[in-house]
Amino acid sequence: MAKITYLEANGREHVVDVCAGLTVMEGARNHGVPGILADCGGNCACGTCRVYIDEPWLAKAGEASEVEAATIEAQEDAGPGKRLSCQIKVADELDGLVVRMPETQC
Amino acid sequence: MQALAELDLPYLPVETEEFAADPVRYFNAAKVQHPWIAESDIGFFIHEYTAIRELLLQDDKMRPAYDGIIEQMGARGTPWGRFTEEQLISLPAEKHRFLRDTFAAKFTPRFANQLRPMMRQTISELLDEWTPSGRMDFEEMASYFPISNMFTLVGAPREEIPAIRSSLETLGLAFSMDKNRLPEIHEAYERLEDLVQRLIANRRANPEAGNPDDLLALLINTGDEGNVDPRQLADLIIFFFIAGYDTSKNVLTYAMFKMLDRPDIYERCGADHEYCRKVVEESLRYFNPGSVPRFAAEDIVFRDVLLPKDTMLWFTLNISGHDPGTFEDPERFDPDRPIAPEKRQIAFSLGKHMCLGQYIARAQLQEALHLIPQRIRNPRLAGEYGWRPYPGAWGLKGLPIEFTPA
Repeated sequence: MAKITYLEANGREHVVDVCAGLTVMEGARNHGVPGILADCGGNCACGTCRVYIDEPWLAKAGEASEVEAATIEAQEDAGPGKRLSCQIKVADELDGLVVRMPETQC
Repeated sequence: MQALAELDLPYLPVETEEFAADPVRYFNAAKVQHPWIAESDIGFFIHEYTAIRELLLQDDKMRPAYDGIIEQMGARGTPWGRFTEEQLISLPAEKHRFLRDTFAAKFTPRFANQLRPMMRQTISELLDEWTPSGRMDFEEMASYFPISNMFTLVGAPREEIPAIRSSLETLGLAFSMDKNRLPEIHEAYERLEDLVQRLIANRRANPEAGNPDDLLALLINTGDEGNVDPRQLADLIIFFFIAGYDTSKNVLTYAMFKMLDRPDIYERCGADHEYCRKVVEESLRYFNPGSVPRFAAEDIVFRDVLLPKDTMLWFTLNISGHDPGTFEDPERFDPDRPIAPEKRQIAFSLGKHMCLGQYIARAQLQEALHLIPQRIRNPRLAGEYGWRPYPGAWGLKGLPIEFTPA
């Protein structure tokens, strides 16, 4: 179980407990956190579950696969630490993770 | 909780020509009687945008219904029937996931962007060929765009484009649920299967003769690495052709049709490549050819209505963008319309079967919408047009135009 903070672009914060083994996207969806669409249901195909992760957490979240990197690079919002939340598996070491959501998932 | 049989559901004559010519009118009338579900002779139709979104994302409760289509068409045991029942989208979850993940690298936005120069060259060559007379069937010209791109991607011999185009035209009508079409469907499928088997055999026998970085090479190599069955490899390439033909062609044709009445949008497309991206998204909201068939894999309770296990459900992606409950003034074609993330067009479906080729389709449409207005000036409707059967692959049949060549 890990406590994850989802930060909307407007600053609104959602702190939820997510079971290990789920993805960060599933944690948001299961708790009704707005701002993550996940149109493809977590198959790394749509790019609508984007989040930003700050430097200290990046290594713990694991590296983006080639497919993930090639999917998110085309999205208009840019910046370091961009990941697809459906590709980040929750584990105990992610307890305390903060993910920031973009203004829009369009 | 209500049973489906207890609901007084509207009936939709989906197989009729009148329906195919204006399904939105029928669905809007149906909404008065029931807001999100209607019945027909081929199953139930889910037509409200939010209902489609909420249900399609419950992948685990449904399964693709292509076996139901084959059953209704009486095509079980035929090569086309086998393919349709075993194609990528119909495979069990684990196998589907494995194959999809295996080939996903060649369907990312990055890969689609790398294909743009090839797409621009293809559409430019088609315009060179088709524009001098100042008249054309736009749909016919548009049909050669995705198929030419697909032939390039798998290194297929270009002289076979007309025959395979004919096959894909026929196979695109397969889900019109008209049994009279079966003989031509079978013939069309055999022709496509023959091409795909030759492509694979030739590339295996002589890999140096092909482009080592093309899609065929990737499919063969990653297929071999993942121990993909030869039958499934061939099916994937057949699926690639079928899935990539009517979809892009029908959307491009309909976008042109809409812009015949909107020269302002058309001319701006020719001048502004980035604006074309917005026109693509609005075109996909306004029109797309897709209806997604599913069976309920278990009893599903949705909005207090029981959808029993094995109920056949059609998800009407094609008219979902006209839902007045979601889209303000839905009949207005407006590429500058603000897009709320939860109200995005859903032409590429949702969930684990979301279209693998969506980025290639978007790139093709954007490139075509930018180059066509530069070569086809002041297009006007120049004759009758018709409609392809509903549920699909739905779209315009023929779009005769006249114009000033440039």
